[in-house]
Order: sequence, then C-alpha cells, then structure tokens
Amino acid sequence: MIRGIYAVVVLDLKRFWLDRARLVAGLAQPLLYLFVLGAGIGANSQLGGGDYKRYIFPGVLGLSLLFTATFAAITIVFDRQIGFFKAVLIAPVPRASIAFGKIIAGALQAFVQGVVVLPFAPLAGVHLGVGETFGLLCTMLLASLTFSAIGLAFAARFSSTTVFPIVSNAVILPMFFLSGALYPLVTAPHWMQLAAHFDPVAYAVDLMRGALLGKFFFNPYLSLAALVAVIAVLAWDSVRVFNRGEDDSSLGATKFNWRR
Amino acid sequence: MTAAVPTDSAAVEVRGLVKRYDKVEALRGVDLTVRRGEMFALLGPNGAGKTTLFSILATLRAPTAGTARVLGHDVVTDRDAVRRSMGIVFQEPAIEQRLTGRDNLLLMGLFYGLGSAAARQRAAELLKQLDLADAADRPAKNLSGGQRRKLELARALVTDPQILFLDEATVGLDVDARRGFWAQVRGLAATGRTVFFTTHYMEEAEVADRIALIDHGQIVALDTPQALKTRVGGGVIRLQTEDNARARGWLTEHGLAPEAGGQEIMLVHADPAAVLPELLRTLPVKVQRVEVHEPSLEDVFLKLTGRGFDGETPVPAGRPGGRNGGAA
Ligand SMILES: Nc1ncnc2c1ncn2[C@@H]1O[C@H](COP(=O)(O)OP(=O)(O)OP(=O)(O)O)[C@@H](O)[C@H]1O
Ligand SMILES: [Mg+2]
Repeated sequence: MIRGIYAVVVLDLKRFWLDRARLVAGLAQPLLYLFVLGAGIGANSQLGGGDYKRYIFPGVLGLSLLFTATFAAITIVFDRQIGFFKAVLIAPVPRASIAFGKIIAGALQAFVQGVVVLPFAPLAGVHLGVGETFGLLCTMLLASLTFSAIGLAFAARFSSTTVFPIVSNAVILPMFFLSGALYPLVTAPHWMQLAAHFDPVAYAVDLMRGALLGKFFFNPYLSLAALVAVIAVLAWDSVRVFNRGEDDSSLGATKFNWRR
Repeated sequence: MTAAVPTDSAAVEVRGLVKRYDKVEALRGVDLTVRRGEMFALLGPNGAGKTTLFSILATLRAPTAGTARVLGHDVVTDRDAVRRSMGIVFQEPAIEQRLTGRDNLLLMGLFYGLGSAAARQRAAELLKQLDLADAADRPAKNLSGGQRRKLELARALVTDPQILFLDEATVGLDVDARRGFWAQVRGLAATGRTVFFTTHYMEEAEVADRIALIDHGQIVALDTPQALKTRVGGGVIRLQTEDNARARGWLTEHGLAPEAGGQEIMLVHADPAAVLPELLRTLPVKVQRVEVHEPSLEDVFLKLTGRGFDGETPVPAGRPGGRNGGAA
C-alpha cells in the first residue's frame, strides 16, 4: 500500500520535473491577478490599492494551488490512455494506493507552484515573518491536498481529455469566485456568504489569509475540520470509483463492471 | 492470501472462456492448457481474440463466462497472486515514452513493491542483460524500435516472472532484432519459465513446443508444429520443367491439381513420396528440378483458419472448430 503510493508519487514527480518549465509559466496567472487585477480593482476599493493587493494575495495563492492541482489531476485521464498505465494496473498495487498517490503527487505539485509565488509577497505589500511563513506553508499544504482531492474526484470520472478540462473549469471557476479570494466575504451579499459555506475553496483561502493577516471569516477550527472532511470523503470516493470498473483497465471510467 | 498452490498445476488453464464486448463476442468458449516450462504459441488471424485472451490472463479484463488460471491462481478471485507471478509484453507500447528506460524499469520495480535500492539494482541488471545499458538514460521515445521492444521485455521481466506472455512482441522489428529478441526469450525458457506468445511471423512459431490456432474466438487446432503440418496432409511438390505450361496441362488432365501461377509448378498432395516416382516417369515434359517439402506453418495457418488457398470460405461462426484437417 505505502509502496504503491510512493511509486505513484515518484512517477508523477518525475514527469512533473520534465515539465518544470510549467512552474514559470504557471506564475503568469497569479501575478496577473495580483498586479493587474489587483491594481485596477484596488484603486476603486474601500481597502485602497496597497491594502487590496495584500488582501487578495492569499486568494491568488489559492488560485495558483487550485489550478495546478486540478491540472495535475488530468494526468489520470491521460494515464488511462497511455500504455504505461496498463503495466501499472497489472502490478499488484491496490487501487487505493493509486488514488492516494495521485492526491499526494498533485498536492506536492500545487504546493511547489504556490511556493514559487511567495517571493512576490513583498511586492504585494505582504510581510512574511517566520511565524506567518510557517503558518502559511502549513495551510497551503492542507489547501493543496484539498484541491488535489477535488481534482481527482472529478478526473476519476472522465476518460476524455477534452471533456474534463471544460467540465472542471465550469466547476472550479465558480468555486474560486465564490470563495472570497478576491473580495472580503464579510461585506459580500448574504447569498454569497451562504454559498461560501459550501465551498471548500473558501475555507482553504480563509485559513491561508488568517495565517497571513490574522483575520478569519470562518472559525479556523471549522475550516480545518471542513478541509479534512473534504479530503477524506473525496479520497474515499476516488478509491470507490477506481475500484468499480477494473475491466478494460478503465480505472472506473467506463460502464464495464468488474465482476467478482 | 498465500493459498498454497500445487506446483503441478498447469501454467495456464483456460476453461470455457467467453468474453463479450458490447456487441462483439471476442472469445466464444476457449479451452486451453499450457504446461509448465512450455514455449506455447497462439496463432490466429487479426481479430481472432488473442489479445483479448491475454488481457484476461493478465487480469486486465474480466471474463464474461468461464474460468482461467495462471500457475494455479484464478485470474478473477486471486488477481494479486496472478499479477505477482506473470510478466507481459503488450501488443502496444507500455512504457512511459518521456522517461528514460532506466526510470521506466525503476518505477516498475517500485510498483511491484521492491525498495528503491532493489528496484535500481534490478533495473541495472536487466539493462545489462538485454544489452540496453548504453541507451538506458535516454528518454524512451528516442530509442530505436528494437530497443524499445527490448525495453518492453525488460519491463515485463522486472519481477523475474515464472510465466511470460508476449503479445506480438516483435512486431515491426527487422530480422536481426527479432533474432536477438527471441534469443533472449529462449534463454528465459531454458531456465524453466513458461512462455506463452502470439505472433504473425510463422518462423517465430516454429520454435514453439506446441501451437494453438485460434479463429473467431475459438481454438480450432492445438498440437506440436510438426503434427499440425501433417494435419494439412502430405506435402508440397515443386517442379521446374522445360515447359511448365504443358506440364500443368498434363497434370490437370491426370487429376492432379497444380496451384495456379508461379515460376515453378506447385502441387499439394497427400503423399508426395508415393506419387512422385510414377509422376516423373510418365510426365511427358523433361523435368529439370524437383523439390518435395512439408507444408509450412503458413500453409497450416491458412488452411485451418479457413482462409484456405483453395478458396475455402471462412469457418462459419458458431461451428465448433474446423478441425478434421484432411488432405488437400
Ligand atoms: N475494447 C473493445 N471493445 C469492443 N470490441 C473489442 C475490444 N477489443 C477488441 N475487440 C474486438 O474483439 C475481437 C478480438 O480482438 P483481439 O484484439 O482480441 O484480436 P487479436 O487476435 O489480438 O487480433 P490482432 O492479431 O489484430 O492483434 C475483435 O473483433 C475486436 O474488434
Ligand atoms: Mg492482438
């Protein structure tokens, strides 16, 4: 079990390393939000330009984690189509190992991408002391795991590499916009505050923002519990999907059912 | 889990195996036993069900009906034991093209539960054994076709399996690369491992201890290469004469049926040795050269899979095998 997880993580990180140029390209999006959107909206915001950038910095970090993690999850959709994974599927590896390995590998990739954004913190007026950095890294890790689990729960159900990104965008973007990453939830309309209670991204962003700026919207213990619960439920769900259709080496993506 | 398996169990035992895809019935009741230590070939035309059978044996697909055991382990109820005991080279590539050969093997080792150090050592061992050491640190996509197939073999051998499935493992290789590949495989077979393979190259099938012919999802013949050839009946006579056209005409008149066309006259007959002396004496055309040989596996294949050279129609689906194999 542990060895299977390890093998999946090594596989994905080796492939990630081949694509390390992505780390740089992946910087474009958060920086754009931070310095273009941030400057534009910040100028009109009650918070003021400098404060607004500071405020959305954790949100933009969350964005980076969210998109990297869901993109990493796509590999499972690709994997179903490449022969190498067939060889993996006939190795005596429990399907749970593959699910956990994928979640961990995706989280690590997202985490690294997030860390690459951190050096820009001072430019956004964010002060990173030792305490803040430590708190931030811990919450980033938790957020990465959550987003990776979300990504996998989706990816596990798709066998098409063209459909998955469309569907995931249709779900991921609203989750991001509702999360309060780009505006304070306190002053948001009531329905948005309500919706945020059902949005794991909101809890993750709020935890990161709290770790950085010391102000929370949700009770941090509630956030922690919510994220851990989301990870557990979605990981369990992916394992279930992976196990349901072993025929056709589908990892659950087709209607062929494994008969025991 | 570690249910004791009798060591005298067959390498592969397939009983009444049926596999239905959405509409296609790829296997329609296959019975097959491969003995331990055997080189066993599965021949059949495209779409006959070979890959389907292999993917069931490799636990990739579930049978619709029937049972299959690999080294005594049931492929459905005892999957992990099957997975641990066999290696397979798939018809399509199954290596991560972007990673190096060494990384591919290393990862496979990890997936099979070897520790990092052990996996690394096993990878190095295999690369050396298969003559891939020089190419090992390039991305797999930059290897030649032959090297890539060897890498596939190496991948299948990571756990040192007792039984090896090869699904058209040498497709697309040149003669030399194929020889090299089979030399490796024979080396493995010599150490008592079972090799169960498919191929469309008949000369590769010659090395098999036994051959099964599969057509339309059913085994239509199963025997040693020698016995299969006899089954086609008799042998082939080739004649070079001073006037082939005239000789052909004469042969046809006398109830022998020479094959049409060709530089030489080709004649399939149940008992060439018996007719040849008489034939040579009475043929009114001077014969320059005579050759008698047994039917090749190719002849057997064409004959028994119903794509016969005498224009037979394919074995109708549902007919329980077209064995009999009478004389031509
Ligand atoms: N995933 C699938 N879904 C539906 N039908 C399939 C599938 N895979 C194979 N088939 C069908 O099952 C039959 C047997 O296919 P199989 O791949 O086992 O043949 P094969 O003997 O390996 O042929 P080849 O020599 O071309 O490799 C074919 O009619 C094929 O079209
Ligand atoms: Mg095939």
